[in-house]
Amino acid sequence: MNRRVRLLMVLAGGAGLAALLVAACLDMPGFGGDRHPYGDRAVHESLARRTANTIASVNFDQRAFDTLGEMTILFGAVLGTVVLLRQTRDERRAAPRPEDVAPPVRRYALAVLPVAVLTGLYVIAHGQLSPGGGFQGGVVAATALHLLYLGADYRALERIRPVGLYEVGDALAASAYLVLGLAGVLAGTAFLANTLLPYGTFNTLTSGGTVPLLNAAIGMEVACAVVVLLARFLDQAVEIEEESGT
Amino acid sequence: MKHLLPLVVAVPLLGAALLVAGGRRLPRVVAETVGCAVAAGTAALALLLLANSSPPMVEWVGGWTPENGRSVGIVLVGDGPGLGLAALASLLTVAALAYSWHYFDEPPRRHTGSFPALVLLFQAGMCGFAVAGDLFNAFVFFELMSVVAYALTGHRVEEAKAVQGALTFGVVTSLGAYAMLMGIALLYARTGELAMAHIGRGLDRHGGPDALVLAAFVLVLTGLLVKAAAVPFHFWLPDAHAVAPTPVCMLLSGVMVELGAYGVWRVHDSVFSGPGGVPEADLERVLVVLGSLTAVIGAVMCWYQRHVKRLLAYSTVAHTGLFLVGIGILTPQADDGIALYVLGHAGVKAALFACTGILLDRYGTVDEHALYGRARELRGVAVLFLVGALALGGLPPFGTALGKAVTEEAVGGPLTVLYVAVSAITAGAVLRVAARVFLGLGPQPGETPSPAYETTGAGEEPETRHRLGRVPGTMTAVPALLLAGALAVGVTPGFAAGVSRAVNEAGSGGAVTPAHWTPPGVLLGLVSTALAAGLATLAVTRPALLAEPGWAAPLRRLQSGHIGDYVAWTLLGTVLLGVLALPGVLGA
Repeated sequence: MNRRVRLLMVLAGGAGLAALLVAACLDMPGFGGDRHPYGDRAVHESLARRTANTIASVNFDQRAFDTLGEMTILFGAVLGTVVLLRQTRDERRAAPRPEDVAPPVRRYALAVLPVAVLTGLYVIAHGQLSPGGGFQGGVVAATALHLLYLGADYRALERIRPVGLYEVGDALAASAYLVLGLAGVLAGTAFLANTLLPYGTFNTLTSGGTVPLLNAAIGMEVACAVVVLLARFLDQAVEIEEESGT
Repeated sequence: MKHLLPLVVAVPLLGAALLVAGGRRLPRVVAETVGCAVAAGTAALALLLLANSSPPMVEWVGGWTPENGRSVGIVLVGDGPGLGLAALASLLTVAALAYSWHYFDEPPRRHTGSFPALVLLFQAGMCGFAVAGDLFNAFVFFELMSVVAYALTGHRVEEAKAVQGALTFGVVTSLGAYAMLMGIALLYARTGELAMAHIGRGLDRHGGPDALVLAAFVLVLTGLLVKAAAVPFHFWLPDAHAVAPTPVCMLLSGVMVELGAYGVWRVHDSVFSGPGGVPEADLERVLVVLGSLTAVIGAVMCWYQRHVKRLLAYSTVAHTGLFLVGIGILTPQADDGIALYVLGHAGVKAALFACTGILLDRYGTVDEHALYGRARELRGVAVLFLVGALALGGLPPFGTALGKAVTEEAVGGPLTVLYVAVSAITAGAVLRVAARVFLGLGPQPGETPSPAYETTGAGEEPETRHRLGRVPGTMTAVPALLLAGALAVGVTPGFAAGVSRAVNEAGSGGAVTPAHWTPPGVLLGLVSTALAAGLATLAVTRPALLAEPGWAAPLRRLQSGHIGDYVAWTLLGTVLLGVLALPGVLGA
């Protein structure tokens, strides 16, 4: 198929799909209403279990099984990346060369690094109370470590980032989420049931039963997963070279 | 018992996590044993639950049982079809892991556990999708199986083809997933529900179908049909199957593609079957038209392949078309037939792929012409391949034949001819390969210059470390057991009746005569097998007579390998779905 035919097909298909979506949107409920059947129920259940952040309650209590699936997608994606970006037979490792960094960049990166890591941990820890949580905080904490790559060089990053350890951390965090779920089955209630721990005092770090624990497991899983993911791509870009002559 | 339902997902996930955590230190043999054991344990759990699935189990994860008919939680449905497919997926996973025992050339350095871990994640995704009763949850597991499948397909990264095939698979399936997510968002906007049965009731309360219902139906179906590889969403499948490692092909063709068709059945049955959903006549039009098109194109493309893995891949496309037609007929009897057909097909197709993998690893090629007469020495594999080909064509008493016969009786008329013709052509192609490769029959195919679009399958790298001298016992035992399973589906007394009961209990219900062998069914099976044998004989002895006609070239050129083309077809396919389903919405 040549470009012209392909373009025509995309235009025809796109136009049809657009028409369908516009027609569907005209039948949607009005914008900005103050009632929603699911929203009202979710807020009610969240407050009943003393979880201040309803979204955390939806993610780690009401629909914790979806979160299990989503966590596993990230886990699987990272594992897939590890497998696909492996060092193949016709590739070898070269030691990365130290690079000069402009002093202002170095000072800024090193000053911001601890703040960024702390912010990430804070966002994870307060997930059940305020906007944020394990997914968001995990990404912040993981990328914060990479300020060292910008501020110093690749070898400095490698020293504080033993990838193997993070891989194990990733897997253990995923296992922790599963074990917390299985505890519900063993206790005779249901998988991922939030009935094992007291719900605590509303709006404190320990409120919400298992919500903070599941949130922490996700935080650890995401932080480790993102570190491993970035490490694989950086490895491919910085260290792994094709053997000459192939 | 019903609290154990989420464990069909949790157990393989835990196994995968532990394999990754310990994979750095575990020797390969331990990692592979653990993988097999976890997969087998999950299979046993699924079978145990299946044995207790009458009446169907309903489990609200986290104990969020509805109050006044409303819940904020996620529901899992443990009925016959769902748990049956979870069990099938798990058993095939065990087969694939056993087949790949010590198989791969080069596990990533210090990551011996990663291949079995990926396979376990794939198993968890398939099981989760099979038992999902919540539309968004189904989407999550749909994504899990897709993401893992991309990585498994591209496993042999040393070859550019593998990366290309996996990328195509990834782009096209992701597009389908976006469409499905948009459809779910539309349904959620209208009803505020995500459990499939609750969405259905919400739509019914709102009144007759309108543009929103149509759009949601089209978008959700697009996602599922991409997975099911229905024409024109099917282009990713042959490209992915040609490059994926053989054990992965067994899973993709044996059960993952069928899960797409199952999704169509489940979503229609629980979401769109009420007065607020899509009228039956429209669903029937959509599925019968697309299914027939898929079956015919799949069969034609299958016949003209010489790359054996691509040939088998197109046969999967053709059979999925038959499954979609059967589901589209919307009769309980056809549902029974399709359930049996899927079970039989899974065993047969996985066995055929397993035999092809042996050829690849021994001779370094899967080109029918290059392999001519070379596999005479592999007597056992030859028998397995021949039996598999005959079973694919519907030779009684295999499960494929029983499923096909029951469905043929339900569809009736010209569609029966479609079933006979498509199974005869695909089985004929496989028999032709068997005759040339294993028996060396007919004249040796000459070195005619092949057209530019031909993927011959020559010069493939074996997946094992060295070319196989002696075929390992596991690699022949697995296809033998799979074929025995397909045979058991057809001959085990009471099995077909049990499947009928389970399917009807899960579906619309109603008193139905249980599926069983009938004289016309046996006759039709024999006819299609005989036709297949005739076609193969003709193709081998008089190659010129059945050579590729001029009209097939444009059809074959459509499979261009260009992702842009496939994306364009996917968009057009979505619009086609909309057009086919439009009359009912206009009339409402």
